[in-house]
Amino acid sequence: MKQFRSMTYPYVAWISVMIVVPMLLIVLYAFTESGNDVLTFRFTLDNFARFVTDRVFLAVLWRSLCIALITTVICVLLGYPIAYVIAQLPGRGNTIMILLITMPTWVNMLVRTYAWMGILQDEGVLNGLLSVFGIGPVPMIHTSFAVILGMVYNFIPFMILQIHTSLDKMDKNLLNAAADLGADGLHTFLRVTLPLSLPGVISGITLVFLPAVSSFFIPKLLGGGQYVLVGNVIESQFLTSGDWNFGSAISLIMAVIIMLSMYLTRKADVSVASAGKE
Amino acid sequence: MAEEAKKLIQFKNIVKSFEDGQVVLKGVSLDIYENEFVTLLGPSGCGKTTLLRILGGFLQPTEGKVLFDGEDIVNVPPYKREINTVFQKYALFPHMNVYDNIAFGLTIKKEPKDVIEQKVMRMLRLVNLEDYARRNVTEMSGGQQQRIAIARALVNEPSVLLLDEPLGALDLKLRKEMQHELKSIQQEVGITFIFVTHDQEEALTMSDKIVVMNAGEIQQIGTPTEIYRRPVNEFVANFIGETNIIDGVMVEDDLVVFEDKRFPCSARGFDKNEKVDVVIRPEHLDIVPRGQGMLKGVVKSQLFKGMHYDTVVETRAGTSITVKMQVAADKPVTNDEAGEKISASGFLLDVEDAAELSDAKVIALASAEAWVSETEENVSINVEHDIKPETGEYSVTFSTAAGTSITVRALVVTENRVESTVYQEEIYAMNFFKKVEDIQESIALDTDLKMWATASAWSLEDENEKVEITDVRYDFDPETITPGVYDVTFSTEGYEYKVSTTRAAEEGSEVGLIFRPEDIHVMKKGAKR
Repeated sequence: MKQFRSMTYPYVAWISVMIVVPMLLIVLYAFTESGNDVLTFRFTLDNFARFVTDRVFLAVLWRSLCIALITTVICVLLGYPIAYVIAQLPGRGNTIMILLITMPTWVNMLVRTYAWMGILQDEGVLNGLLSVFGIGPVPMIHTSFAVILGMVYNFIPFMILQIHTSLDKMDKNLLNAAADLGADGLHTFLRVTLPLSLPGVISGITLVFLPAVSSFFIPKLLGGGQYVLVGNVIESQFLTSGDWNFGSAISLIMAVIIMLSMYLTRKADVSVASAGKE
Repeated sequence: MAEEAKKLIQFKNIVKSFEDGQVVLKGVSLDIYENEFVTLLGPSGCGKTTLLRILGGFLQPTEGKVLFDGEDIVNVPPYKREINTVFQKYALFPHMNVYDNIAFGLTIKKEPKDVIEQKVMRMLRLVNLEDYARRNVTEMSGGQQQRIAIARALVNEPSVLLLDEPLGALDLKLRKEMQHELKSIQQEVGITFIFVTHDQEEALTMSDKIVVMNAGEIQQIGTPTEIYRRPVNEFVANFIGETNIIDGVMVEDDLVVFEDKRFPCSARGFDKNEKVDVVIRPEHLDIVPRGQGMLKGVVKSQLFKGMHYDTVVETRAGTSITVKMQVAADKPVTNDEAGEKISASGFLLDVEDAAELSDAKVIALASAEAWVSETEENVSINVEHDIKPETGEYSVTFSTAAGTSITVRALVVTENRVESTVYQEEIYAMNFFKKVEDIQESIALDTDLKMWATASAWSLEDENEKVEITDVRYDFDPETITPGVYDVTFSTEGYEYKVSTTRAAEEGSEVGLIFRPEDIHVMKKGAKR
């Protein structure tokens, strides 16, 4: 294998230039003052202090976490039954359903979110339908409901796929064995199916929570200008205010939060997997 | 004992067909008694596992009833049946430890904790895994997982335990151990075991009763001794152990004729002069000097097996045919003056084809080719021959304009076949030409020879019924073969007897065979196979 080692150099170079260097730049920006000369850096912790002492920013962070958490919980509660039903289908139906679930992701996420704007507007499709029955217009767009709806819609395929995979690869004989030992449908599900599919649920949670917590265009489009999440704050620091240092600091704080949550889910995953060992 | 016990399970005319129209069980009826060790034995695809799954409740029969203690249980879901299963690949719950796996059934029934612990520990002792209660099942070996699966099923105190090829995944030594262990567990807990296997030895070792199945039907039900000593048909005789099956005729009660000789035996209930199959087990035959035996034959092979020799004695040769193989060197002829080379090989053709023969066809048959030595550019060839549509040997000369020429032989033949009235079969093969290198490069010479000679054999009664050519003989060494003509003989199987004997005998020596009248078993011919 040694002779192939040199083949990894391009990848190492690519990763360094495209990932490591930008990350280091973000760290550098986060710990320096704005308006540095090219050669002299004035290091400071002000950027972080500004974020953690400002109630408005903390409120935005708190709201982001709440929205992401609610999205994830809804994705689990909705996604699990869907994945379960699909996994029960015989071969061909199974494949077709999974295809249908993944199909929307072939279209750009931005386009799909715009479509939701059309549906949720005051004079949109939904309210048009309601007005036939003499209801409304019900304000839907620019609410938390719209933002969560948009996120659930965009991210739920990842949850379904993860859970479906873990259900699908499960040995069907285990279910027969449970039935054989006297467990009815509910007991079989609670004692065998659910615990064995938890690793899928956990990786699904990771795949939904992470993009949900840092998403910025869904709240921007469906939440309207006044609905601000952390992603929007970072975006505006870079694009509108031009305060790259503060933007970098917030990015870094988010990165730490994300790493922490990944660590916690991984730990939960391991403890589930070894639940039998004690 | 079994006859006095009460019927626990009754299969009544079970038919199972799947959506694709495949019929797996064709009306199976079977009674199983209390405390029996019953084995369902048969080749894969015979329906034995399907029958077990119907009893376990994982499949619904298309037709028929399953009575358990006199009640029809076809519509009872598996979790309500007093039956537990040891699955083929154990199906242990990977997220639980050994203890929790075994306790699963009891916790579902919500038994008190201390009762569960007592019962689980007792089971662990039964299967010798007391020290492994807290181990993760995925860390256990195949044999241990097997025992956990048995304990997990038995702890529920079922009245029947189903075992679906449970020893299939174990190695030979462990399998033997587990056979004894299973039998002793069954005797200790005293419940009915229904065991599915395709291994006849396993079945003979453990069972009180063997049910031999094939193609969705029960072939025979009996004790191991009955099944072994008195198979009802060819399928059972062949499936259970090595055996010799010979065509015979029942002259009268207790008198059978085979190999044109009369032998006393103990068999009644056949029509006068009814054609029958005669079964003699290899261990019931022995070799004696020629002249002292009841049959005589030639030793075809002998293999040393430690306790005995596996010997094959042929009493009558099969149908055979000998053809000529002409081996050519196939060196191209070189004409240095013209700077050309020419090559061609001898060939063979049928009388009918010889009547209308174009030059192009002759060139193709001989794969004749001429080329310029340096450039390898092809040169056109002229053909000269005297082939007539009569059998015989002719010479064919190929030449180029520059005078380079080669002469090969062509053989005109008629079809070549031999008929045997003894075996009611016919064998066919053709003379053929080959190159030295073809023979040297062949990695399966017997098969290639059969193919080159288009050798085949079939039954005279039904031309579509192929008879296998089992013997290919030739008198050359393929490694060092030189151009020339060789005989190749193809034969079908004659009457051969497998003999399990302690006497050594040289291959090719003439010997006699002896057996006792009580070891001759007579079966009805064409009984369901």
